[in-house]
Amino acid sequence: MLRSPRTTGSCSPYSSERTKERGIHILKRLSFLVFLLTFLAAGCAHRSSPVSPLPQLVKVVSNSEQIPLKSPEVSVTSGNESADRKENPGNGEEGEEEEIATITDPLESFNRAMFRFNDKLYFWVLKPVAQGYKKVVPEAPRVGVKNFFSNLKFPIRFVSCLLQADFSGAATEFGRFAVNTIWGVGGLSDPASSKQLNIPKNEADLGQTLGVYGLGQGFYIVWPILGPYSARDSIGIAGDYYLYPVSYITPWYDRLAVSAYEGVNDTSLRIGDYEFIKEAAIDPYVALRDAYSQYRQKKVEERRGQPVPPKPGGVR
Amino acid sequence: MERHFIGLSILMFFLSTLPGYAGAPLDTVQTNVNKVLDVARDPKLKGESAKRIKKEKLEAIYEQMFDGVELSMRTLGKNWIKINPAQQQEFIQLYRQILEKAYIDKILSYTNEKIVFSKENMLSNNQAEIQTNVITSSKEIPIFYKVILKDGIWKVYDVVVENVSLVQNYRSQFNSILAKNTPDQLLEILRKKVKGQ
Repeated sequence: MLRSPRTTGSCSPYSSERTKERGIHILKRLSFLVFLLTFLAAGCAHRSSPVSPLPQLVKVVSNSEQIPLKSPEVSVTSGNESADRKENPGNGEEGEEEEIATITDPLESFNRAMFRFNDKLYFWVLKPVAQGYKKVVPEAPRVGVKNFFSNLKFPIRFVSCLLQADFSGAATEFGRFAVNTIWGVGGLSDPASSKQLNIPKNEADLGQTLGVYGLGQGFYIVWPILGPYSARDSIGIAGDYYLYPVSYITPWYDRLAVSAYEGVNDTSLRIGDYEFIKEAAIDPYVALRDAYSQYRQKKVEERRGQPVPPKPGGVR
Repeated sequence: MERHFIGLSILMFFLSTLPGYAGAPLDTVQTNVNKVLDVARDPKLKGESAKRIKKEKLEAIYEQMFDGVELSMRTLGKNWIKINPAQQQEFIQLYRQILEKAYIDKILSYTNEKIVFSKENMLSNNQAEIQTNVITSSKEIPIFYKVILKDGIWKVYDVVVENVSLVQNYRSQFNSILAKNTPDQLLEILRKKVKGQ
């Protein structure tokens, strides 16, 4: 069952019983936060999903022994390397603004271990389950389920837009939510994005909002199950969690089940993406780290420059 | 008056020969992408046996479409000048093979996807960004091509998929490897990668 979503800080300590209950809930939430989000992220939620704000490609974390390059010598690169990248001129005629996305990685040895852990988790657990599910359920309903969860994440996008003072974005999101909930049968389909209405989704989340306000990405961290994050976006997803109605499902195992299902459903729609990245990479760990950093950086830039200004140096 | 006319006609002449106007970058990319799709969807080339022919055709298109030298230079960045010309040549070849190997199967799986060419941004006189969207049954993937004008032809030097630049992504990997290895060791790693794990 769904409890009415509350905002994070809106404590209503009228009765002590209520407070106590709340305390227990928070405890529970914290302890399962990792688990839930894990499934979401490892399950590679939709790319817009604020809970796992990675691009589809970057979704699942990992690496493994299969990569020839993963020799110990290679895995020890970190500090000087990130410094390297910053001064890299890019060699283009006029140093393009391509060097922006860099992220420091002081925890590299821990991160690489988590990366391997998540890789195994994907190949041993998540992928087989998602493949089985894919065999049973046709694509159309799976896309419907994805839309449904995406529609449920409306509060995250709405609040993030408001916090970014993007009122038209917030209004758009509100309209999308209304249209998709009513005419989209509870969000299963996405009529708002159809050609007739053409209301695009505002891919906003709290980590991005912090970025829009000037907070840098901070260091890179690979959470077990959750996957790649920056320090900033780790704060962001903790906040997003409270804006996501699924987080308020009780008892906790129902919530876990719903989240796990969402993860499996999302994964079923993009089996092969992670494998592809891994296959194409020379060092998959570094490839994912860079892709994550670039992706999130551009997400912030997009929102910062509303309305999107022409590219610097652009002729037209 | 006559001088004006001559001056004007000279100006006109130069303007008309100036390449890169009127959507040429977008047209070039679109033509090449369409060629790729034609190969991938060729009904005569079905099955495993035709796969090799398809691959050969795609490799030929790749040569026309991409600027291998520019791609390699940008990918290695400052490390490019630190390696000798022979190593540069080998790097260009290996890098191309790695990209081909990684992408050919992916491209050949593109059968029902729709590709929309939405926009052309001029980044400078001789550089442009072509924005496209690949629309599949379940999602939309923005893919941007960055092209540079070389000898009158627009060639791709970077591909940006979902905001992630291919060149920058490989650059971070090569930098990470070169921080601990010599260029020769890097080439050896690439050779192994090409031969296939």
